[in-house]
Amino acid sequence: MKTLSWQIHTILTLALAAVLAVEPAAADTPTTDTSGWKCTQCPFLDGYESEVEAGVLSASGANASYGRYTGIDHSGTYADAGGSGQMRSDDGSYASYGLERLGLASRDGYVEGGREGRYDLRLSYDGQPTRLYDTAVTPFQGAGASLSLPASWVAAGSTTAMTQLKSSLAPVDIGDNRRTVALLGRFFVSPSWTVFGEFRRQEKDGTGLTSGSFLTEAVQLPQPIDYITDSFEGGVAWSGRRASFRLTYSGSWFEDNSDTLTFANPYLPIVPGSTEGRLALPPNNTLQQLAAAGNVQLPWFATTLSYTASLGTLKQNVDFLPDSTLPGSAVPPSGSLDGDVHLSHYALGLASRPLPNLNVRGNATYDGRDDQTTPIAIAYIVTDTFPGGTAVTPRYGEDRVRLDGGADYALARWARIGVGGTFDDNHYSPGQVVTNTQDAESWGRGTITPIAALSFTLKFGNGLRKASSFDAAALPPAENPLVRDFNYAPRDRVFSTLTGSWVASPALTWTVEGFLAKDDYRSSPLGLQSSHEQRTSTTLTWTPRDTLSAYIDAGYQRLFMLQNGYTGADTTPWLVADTERFWNMSIGAQWVPQERWTLKLDYLLAPSYDDTDSTLGGLQQAFPQNWTKLDSARLDVAYRWTAALQIHFRYAHEEYNSRDWSLDGVGPSTVPNLLALGLQPYHDNVNLFGLTVHYQFGNAGADAPKSK
Amino acid sequence: MQRFPRACVGGAFALLLGGAHAFSADGPPNTDSAYSPQGADTCLGCHNNATVTGLFRTKHARPNDPRGPFGHGGLQCEACHGPGGAHVKAGGGPPAGMVVFGPKSPATVAQQNANCLGCHQSNAAHDWASSAHAGSNVACASCHTLHAAKDPVLSAVTQIEVCTACHQAQHTDLFKPSHHPLREGKMACTSCHSPHGSTAPAQLVKNTVNETCTTCHAEYRGPFLWEHQPVTEDCSNCHEPHGSAQPALLKMRTPFLCQTCHEGAGHPSIANTPQGLPGGMPSAYLLAGGCINCHSQVHGSNHPSGRALMR
Repeated sequence: MKTLSWQIHTILTLALAAVLAVEPAAADTPTTDTSGWKCTQCPFLDGYESEVEAGVLSASGANASYGRYTGIDHSGTYADAGGSGQMRSDDGSYASYGLERLGLASRDGYVEGGREGRYDLRLSYDGQPTRLYDTAVTPFQGAGASLSLPASWVAAGSTTAMTQLKSSLAPVDIGDNRRTVALLGRFFVSPSWTVFGEFRRQEKDGTGLTSGSFLTEAVQLPQPIDYITDSFEGGVAWSGRRASFRLTYSGSWFEDNSDTLTFANPYLPIVPGSTEGRLALPPNNTLQQLAAAGNVQLPWFATTLSYTASLGTLKQNVDFLPDSTLPGSAVPPSGSLDGDVHLSHYALGLASRPLPNLNVRGNATYDGRDDQTTPIAIAYIVTDTFPGGTAVTPRYGEDRVRLDGGADYALARWARIGVGGTFDDNHYSPGQVVTNTQDAESWGRGTITPIAALSFTLKFGNGLRKASSFDAAALPPAENPLVRDFNYAPRDRVFSTLTGSWVASPALTWTVEGFLAKDDYRSSPLGLQSSHEQRTSTTLTWTPRDTLSAYIDAGYQRLFMLQNGYTGADTTPWLVADTERFWNMSIGAQWVPQERWTLKLDYLLAPSYDDTDSTLGGLQQAFPQNWTKLDSARLDVAYRWTAALQIHFRYAHEEYNSRDWSLDGVGPSTVPNLLALGLQPYHDNVNLFGLTVHYQFGNAGADAPKSK
Repeated sequence: MQRFPRACVGGAFALLLGGAHAFSADGPPNTDSAYSPQGADTCLGCHNNATVTGLFRTKHARPNDPRGPFGHGGLQCEACHGPGGAHVKAGGGPPAGMVVFGPKSPATVAQQNANCLGCHQSNAAHDWASSAHAGSNVACASCHTLHAAKDPVLSAVTQIEVCTACHQAQHTDLFKPSHHPLREGKMACTSCHSPHGSTAPAQLVKNTVNETCTTCHAEYRGPFLWEHQPVTEDCSNCHEPHGSAQPALLKMRTPFLCQTCHEGAGHPSIANTPQGLPGGMPSAYLLAGGCINCHSQVHGSNHPSGRALMR
């Protein structure tokens, strides 16, 4: 990027153009005289209405597996509370709120208010727990940036020889909590102009999973997580009847309060002094962008042109850590990276109807990642153990142009055909093994609608990715020149999709989807060779009357991948074939047997299987099958005691089991040169009971519309 | 790194300047006789039940909002359904000249959507026309339930039911062992995708895959001192965001995923077989984190000695 000036000029010019293009507001006014339309029968909310709920949840058998995203991560009793409501006054002032799961770490809520047509404000909170493992154990002590070993620790050359290991292990929970607070404001300057702004703060803290090594020996570690991301997006938007425009500034500031993690070496040092390791944790960074976007409806063939131009910078300039914990190690060549990446995105979209039965659309998009960071030659130390030499930090950039489009022609009301495709042209910055890839994909499809609300669409297509000549000289030292990185590798693709839907009646709908795809990497001597994907699914819903609805759905997927490689000087490549299969089957119903009662029942079964076979020297060996099985049932019963008071009872049972050969039976000392955390595959068997009381108050105008 | 044809920007500029002012301000062919005598009051005389009046709890029915159909001078029900004069004169029956929404509507999808886009094309749906949904002839009413007090597609908890009614493969993905918290109601499809169209691949909400992912995962945004090329290029090179059988939404399990690119002399090229499992010769290349046991900084490292992404 030579300069940002012309691009900034472009964005500002587009902004000016939008201002100049403002149409008189009167153009939006209908010609019909509506002065007599009083809307006296319209049941607008007048006053307030609200519903609050409070109760308890009781869980047995809950753990991190069950509570991963719900926060119900241990057996016990949880408060269950929430509420929602809104108010409105005749002058157009309004407010509303919503609160959910207040007793859980997954609680969220909002409050918003404003004046109709003038402004609105919204404050929201969202809690997002992520419980990963409660089976981890570690001998490491301490919190935050430094992990030490017990004073009695006896270092050894392998985990099996660590005499104090078993007695030193203590549990550690792996997981985090993410809390997001956002404040959004919009001011409607006029029916056409809006000024908007949103500030958002996201905090994430907890313990993650990382690892460190000392050349040939490794250790899994609990990693402190203490992140704050502040972001702001604000701008101005204009919309007329035939054009719109939006100018936006956005910024995001990421801050990591734990830039480093130091950990003691539990092994006998390979070299004297290598008693400690130090990891760099994610550095603070800043992303700022300026974007202009909009559309304009042209007066020819119902044509719409949309456009986007965005410029941004991504920066990072955190001070370097010392290059090693080894005594007397060298000082880094400079104090910080001064990382500076320029991001640009330009797009034009065009959609038109040149003939009554013909729709065409197309998009042209450019994305540039221009890394302006100065490469640095660094003398590095390998795993705080010994000097590794000097290397220059690589910088990566891409120019990506993407064209996509399609045309659909209605042969008749019951038949449509279409063609389309995409073309991706990627240019990589110098120093990579290829300079350019081109990926072209084309498809055709036909849709028939033999009777109203019955529709089938068949789509088929193929794709071809080409790459420029392979530059083996750009490979890292010792890398096998026969391997083609899969994201660079030439690829042939064929795919087809069949979808169908039938709205047999307002009471009965059915949908079905099938998909097949096959990728071949014919030009890759080694690496990924092929992948296949099959997917089928169907859903049937039945709503015979307002008080009864039922559904059943099922899905199946099969994914297959084949890769190969050489071990050392072997002349026959090893092969690994992996096949994954997934099912999901669910059935449920909701029934209102009488006015006071509502019953809801859902059942879900979702198993998955992963089979990996390896072939070495002609001998095929199968890994143990990895599998998961989710078996879940849920019953909700609501009883309306009075017009304002409801009682809800909930029962849920979930059983989840899994096998994973990379974790099964892998304890801290199972692998001699890996001090593991002993993570185990997920299992849970949970019974959840909930009882809540819901109380409604205020005016429920919409429920009791006035009659004429 | 700048190959974008400036002519495209220039062309947009010219069309915007030249085109916007060329438009006539002609409105729809409204005549007093085509509309009902008293607007919504006429409609509610017959269509007065909870499935209709839920609308009055929504933003479409705000009498003080001049941008909405119920604002001063607005066409109320007929702003969306079209002139109902003939329907009223006929005493009901088939709503000739009006638009009914839904899969069994006699109106084409284009006719249905035209009434929505009359207001929304210039704001919420300004990329709609060139979107994949428009190209697939999707009606606005296929996703939106306008008369419901709470449109299910606007709630994170219920949105996935709407989206996966068509995107059924993604419905299966929700139940994979590794998944984003959609079925738990903590994310919505619209956290990442813009169903009304966008200029990003897969109708993402941000310009690129990486910009979208790092909205929440800002710790991987970099730039790092030592970068990992596929990470800087596209998160989906290694991750399957809709769900996976492998940890961390990976497309394949380590070490096999890593070996699709790395087979250098030494351990990256080793054939990993069941011999490396417990009971055989347990291998750190295969068990626990696999390659990640040592190369933990796969997203990039800011450590001066992080060349092999081990620090």
